[in-house]
Amino acid sequence: MLLVGWEVGVRLSGLPAFVLPPPSQVARTAVEVAPLLGPDVVTTLTEAGLGLLVGAVVGLLLAVLIAAFPLVADTVYPLVTLTQTVPTVVLAPLLILWAGFGLLPKVVLVALTAFFPVLVAAVTAMSAVDAEHAEMVAGLGGTRRHQFWLVQLPASVPGALGGLRVAATYAIGAAVVAEYLAGQSGLGVFVQRSRKGYEVDQILVAVALVAVLTGLLFLLVDGLARLATPWQRPSLPSRPGRTPL
Amino acid sequence: MTTSLSTESPATSDLALGVAGLTVTFPGAGRRDVPGVVALQDVGLQVRVGEFVAVVGPSGCGKSTLLRVLAGLTPTGATVTGGAVTRLVNPAGGPATAWMPQRDGLLPWRRALPNALVGARIAGMDRAVADERARALFDEFGLAGFERSWPHELSGGMRQRLALLRTCLPGRPVLLLDEPFGALDAITRRRMNAWLAGLDLAGHGRAVVLVTHDVDEALLLADRVVVLSDRPGRVVLDLPVPRDGTQDARRTLLDALDPHGGS
Repeated sequence: MLLVGWEVGVRLSGLPAFVLPPPSQVARTAVEVAPLLGPDVVTTLTEAGLGLLVGAVVGLLLAVLIAAFPLVADTVYPLVTLTQTVPTVVLAPLLILWAGFGLLPKVVLVALTAFFPVLVAAVTAMSAVDAEHAEMVAGLGGTRRHQFWLVQLPASVPGALGGLRVAATYAIGAAVVAEYLAGQSGLGVFVQRSRKGYEVDQILVAVALVAVLTGLLFLLVDGLARLATPWQRPSLPSRPGRTPL
Repeated sequence: MTTSLSTESPATSDLALGVAGLTVTFPGAGRRDVPGVVALQDVGLQVRVGEFVAVVGPSGCGKSTLLRVLAGLTPTGATVTGGAVTRLVNPAGGPATAWMPQRDGLLPWRRALPNALVGARIAGMDRAVADERARALFDEFGLAGFERSWPHELSGGMRQRLALLRTCLPGRPVLLLDEPFGALDAITRRRMNAWLAGLDLAGHGRAVVLVTHDVDEALLLADRVVVLSDRPGRVVLDLPVPRDGTQDARRTLLDALDPHGGS
């Protein structure tokens, strides 16, 4: 419906194609440029994937430190929260100055965007540990170390994965923005080139592509998260024919 | 019949667990002008090696609090005065007690067997030894074949048995059980109690303290029944369970539990 409205609207109003091309033209362009986009997609996906991985690891490690050491929680956590008040896009020029034009600054930028939701979700999950489980461990003679390894850390996993799902939706967008500012290849570079040539149809192809890739990345992370937490899957009674007491 | 439950701890002293003059006070509703609630007042309890002691009392009399203190858990926010707890020295090292909560406390991210091994891991038991003993106990506890099930796949009765298995596995000399089958339906509960009575948990130099509000459960399982009064909880009766015929003991217990009720 939306696409039909767009097509009809553009044709009736007589807008020039360099302002808003009709979807039929975007589709044609998509087919034309598809073979050329391969390397750009690979670059962007590499940046997003690596950044997400680094962000998740850093976020989880920081969450563990915050949960294990109250001093870290009091000093580092507010500081980390403060860094999130600066939009990462604003930091990009600095990163490029420090880390060059290659892959590294983009990965860092994606990681900076991705680690925060992971961190917050994991810290929340660890501080909200079920008192029942903590007491069970204490009642068996467990120390704080046992509490951490047996209860807190595993309890944080579903939370951290929830944060990772959120981070996955930001990752490709962050990579593309980083490429706007400096880059030799990637979807962001493709968009910038198209803009300079007033090729709005190509920009729209890139926008659609970013949306599709983000969706796919989210599904991938979601699938991995499900695999990593099999106990959360409602499963059928595993052994039929036995009557539990 | 319960050879796999045996521990290598011999009875070094006759007293397994003792507390005297224990008073526990909870702060009153977070306001300073509200007086605190006295949960337990001047409670004394002695448990000898080989004894199975049941603590019965009305709801809210502080029997769970007593068990927590015996387990070395500080009830949150409570003030504990007096009542130094003396415990049997655990020859294997580590604390002498193993406490089983009212709710099973099973970790949802561990399958049944790893859940059973939590206590052994805390006790620092050798992995292979613990694993072997756990598998033997799975048989004895009627859980064989469910080693790889997730806790949410088990029935209430199986969850409680798994929690009990986890508590027994490290071989601590004193077991502290807080209404282990309190959350189960009446029929399952009867079945569980009959099964538990055959386990000889207090044998082999061990001792058991069981908290319950069910007089029949106490009479079936225990050698001695201690009755706590309504809040503040005090010991009002300490009754050995006769081997032959528990009818009189039952009446005495019920009278002690509800001095103003009946005729």
